[in-house]
Amino acid sequence: METSTLSKLAVRVRYDILQMTTEAGSGHPTSSLSATDLLTGLFFGGTFRFDLHHPQDPCNDRIIFSKGHASPLFYALYEAAGILSQEDLMTYRAMGSPLEGHPTPRFPYAEAATGSLGQGLGIGVGIAMNARYIDKLPYNTYVLMGDSEVAEGSVWEAAELASQYKLDNLVGILDVNRLGQRGETMLDWELDAYEARFAAFGWHTIVLEDGHDLDAVQAAYREIDHACGRPTILIARTVKGKGVSFLENQDGWHGKTLSREQFDRAVVELGPVDLNLFGTIEPPVQTMPARWTPMPQVQATSPNALSTREAYGRALVDIAPSHPEMVVLDAEVSNSTFAATFGRAYPERFFEMYIAEQNMVSVALGLSTRGRVPFVSTFAAFLSRAFDQVRMAQYAMDRANIKFTGSHAGVSIGADGPSQMGLEDIAMFRTLVDSVVLYPADDVSTAALVRLMADHHGICYMRTTREALPRLYQEGDAFTIGGSRTLSRSDDDRVTLVGAGITLHEALKAAETLAASGINARVIDLYSIKPLDIATLRTAAAETAAIITIEDHYAEGGIGEAVAAALSDVATPVFSLAVRKLPMSGKPDELLAYEEIDASAIVRRVQEL
Amino acid sequence: MEHDYSIAELKHLATEIRKDTLRSITAAGSGHPGGSLSAADIMTALYFQVANLKTPTDPDRDRIFWSKGHIAPLLYTLLAYKGFFPREELITLRKFGSRLQGHPKKDSPPGVETSTGSLGQGLSVAVGCAYAARYDHSPVRVWCLNGDGELQEGQIWEALMAGAHFKLDNLCTIIDNNGLQIDGKVADVMDLGDLAAKVRAFGWHVIEIDGHDMQQCVNALEEAKTVKGQPTAIIAHTIKGKGVSFMEDQAGWHGKAPSQDELAQALRELDGEEGE
Repeated sequence: METSTLSKLAVRVRYDILQMTTEAGSGHPTSSLSATDLLTGLFFGGTFRFDLHHPQDPCNDRIIFSKGHASPLFYALYEAAGILSQEDLMTYRAMGSPLEGHPTPRFPYAEAATGSLGQGLGIGVGIAMNARYIDKLPYNTYVLMGDSEVAEGSVWEAAELASQYKLDNLVGILDVNRLGQRGETMLDWELDAYEARFAAFGWHTIVLEDGHDLDAVQAAYREIDHACGRPTILIARTVKGKGVSFLENQDGWHGKTLSREQFDRAVVELGPVDLNLFGTIEPPVQTMPARWTPMPQVQATSPNALSTREAYGRALVDIAPSHPEMVVLDAEVSNSTFAATFGRAYPERFFEMYIAEQNMVSVALGLSTRGRVPFVSTFAAFLSRAFDQVRMAQYAMDRANIKFTGSHAGVSIGADGPSQMGLEDIAMFRTLVDSVVLYPADDVSTAALVRLMADHHGICYMRTTREALPRLYQEGDAFTIGGSRTLSRSDDDRVTLVGAGITLHEALKAAETLAASGINARVIDLYSIKPLDIATLRTAAAETAAIITIEDHYAEGGIGEAVAAALSDVATPVFSLAVRKLPMSGKPDELLAYEEIDASAIVRRVQEL
Repeated sequence: MEHDYSIAELKHLATEIRKDTLRSITAAGSGHPGGSLSAADIMTALYFQVANLKTPTDPDRDRIFWSKGHIAPLLYTLLAYKGFFPREELITLRKFGSRLQGHPKKDSPPGVETSTGSLGQGLSVAVGCAYAARYDHSPVRVWCLNGDGELQEGQIWEALMAGAHFKLDNLCTIIDNNGLQIDGKVADVMDLGDLAAKVRAFGWHVIEIDGHDMQQCVNALEEAKTVKGQPTAIIAHTIKGKGVSFMEDQAGWHGKAPSQDELAQALRELDGEEGE
């Protein structure tokens, strides 16, 4: 396309940006205007290849607006491409409109939800990895980033991994407009400093002194080398508010819209707007994605009970032949989480994410948007640093089909001490809309629950235990999401003990002790913490005098609160035994006793009733 | 220079510290010997020669943060040798009720400046501390020990950006570049590329040394004190398990305690090295 035509399209895009934000009365027009020429050039200059009528075509290039607040630009591009109408743009930010304040897949051209800064590059890495290593397709992935957001460490985690995996199909576009939300960025317009950093991280760098010169923009895109073995970053000096004199490079205009009067003045400055001029996007190169047909691998059944983490690794291997969409990611602790078991069996579907949990979650989301089913593991404790990424994944809605597993849950890990103990994970994952939270107590149920997670579409979390636990179940015992299993019951149960994972075993021991002194206790394995088996809990509440929950997790947001909330309308009291003191190093049994979640503590609690 | 040990004396001290570190890990039955041994020389130089650290409560003491918290056994041994708590306590490492937790907890024992063990967080704490010292016009210098593996955490790069942005020339981090992490060689596991170029690109003064050459360790730490207008990173090229032949450069010794027999052999080797 001629540069003169691209210029006219850029005017139209700018007009749309101002029009929709003025109409909405909120939004980020200036952050959109700075990147307008870069993106108009990308979309309509022949670089970006996309079938607008089939947004899920596996061969399409992908674009992520990591600076999600530039959503007006994002939508304006699709208006200029003829996918959205002027009327559609007028719904921007209105309740029920797919054109949300920050992009979500309610607008189907948004690959994932963005708007929490610093996450788009990691999502792009996942999508690019899918192209390179899984689908083996020639599509490219573009990520628009703001200069402010590269202060987020997650950007550098992604930069490092992209380089490690030689993702030369990944292109970052850095919109260096110098101004953040409240003033100058750390590096102002120091393009050299950005270049040095990305170059040191192994990226091919292209510096664009004027990100508004469309000839130069087009030349920069032509300079990208998709066979150089390195990802490319286009570092462009831009002007925030470009195109409107009273907005250009002015502090104080971030996230602020024009009044009607200011809008009218701005439109005059833009010059003639041709609403009959549409941009065209090149179609993708059509090829077939590669198929993966994993051969079943025989694993000798273990006569002895395995730890649930070990059972997790074996279960991943077992389900692979029936789940060819699965991929396994781990943050450099796969020998502890036992994801390594899968890695050894199917190295082509195991991806090391190194000690960078935030990026691991974003990569998983990227893979998931391309139809993969990522199984993501690390210590439960370390998933907490990636919770923003997990939180954002839920806003990708049905595109986030990710299975998280946190190992080393609870104080029962022992000697390594509190920094390694996952004690908040149940609470975190319970907060997600429509999430599933599972907690197996032995190796047989672990295998069953891994299969359930794989077959359930959505975000699932499973916590596993470091210690080997006795086997409770037999092959073929039934488990369901939202189910439970009652391991001990009689017609004369006085109290109900609800445990999961390691505390279930403590509850069983306590029930034995209590039985010896003539008190029958019902014991429920609450392996599905969300959703809860409310029917079984209600029956127990009706048939016994009290319910005691026992969990190796902090009290807040854990099993006790989940059960208490579910039974808030019944009179039977719910008592919670949970981790309430700051834990320390020690042996597992010493710590369970210290936190009063072991069998003796349960017996004492029952006797107090 | 805060103290006046000869290089030979520092080397001797480092050997004794290695020995007691290994004794405590063997007594605990778990812990991280490999990384403890790789950082032993430069941390001995820091604690006994360069840092202003007379008591753990002196408000003007230098602050030393251990971002790679899993090598707590080395930290505890250094603090015991500083006289901050009894050496006999070292064998309580990782025991229930002991002050010597598997990963460091602030003030437990005295001299532990902050709790660490979730990788990648220590340098940010050090940045905050250095910023406060600057704000207070205090003579306090702030030191940090980072592992090379944890540089994969983005938070490290956030801290590097902040340290340079605030021109914290009272801050120095030591990167224990032993080249191994849990799963194997860092370069196999993750090619860090030109680490010095990366850290320089983030605005830090970089010094690269052989982290087992005591003279180079002392010189680099002293040089860090003289740098103006930017923080310093010392990239100490080290060997995981240094000083014990069967542990050197072996990923398997990342988080495994030696048996009594292995300990005996390690102590013999360390004594022999001394005799040479």
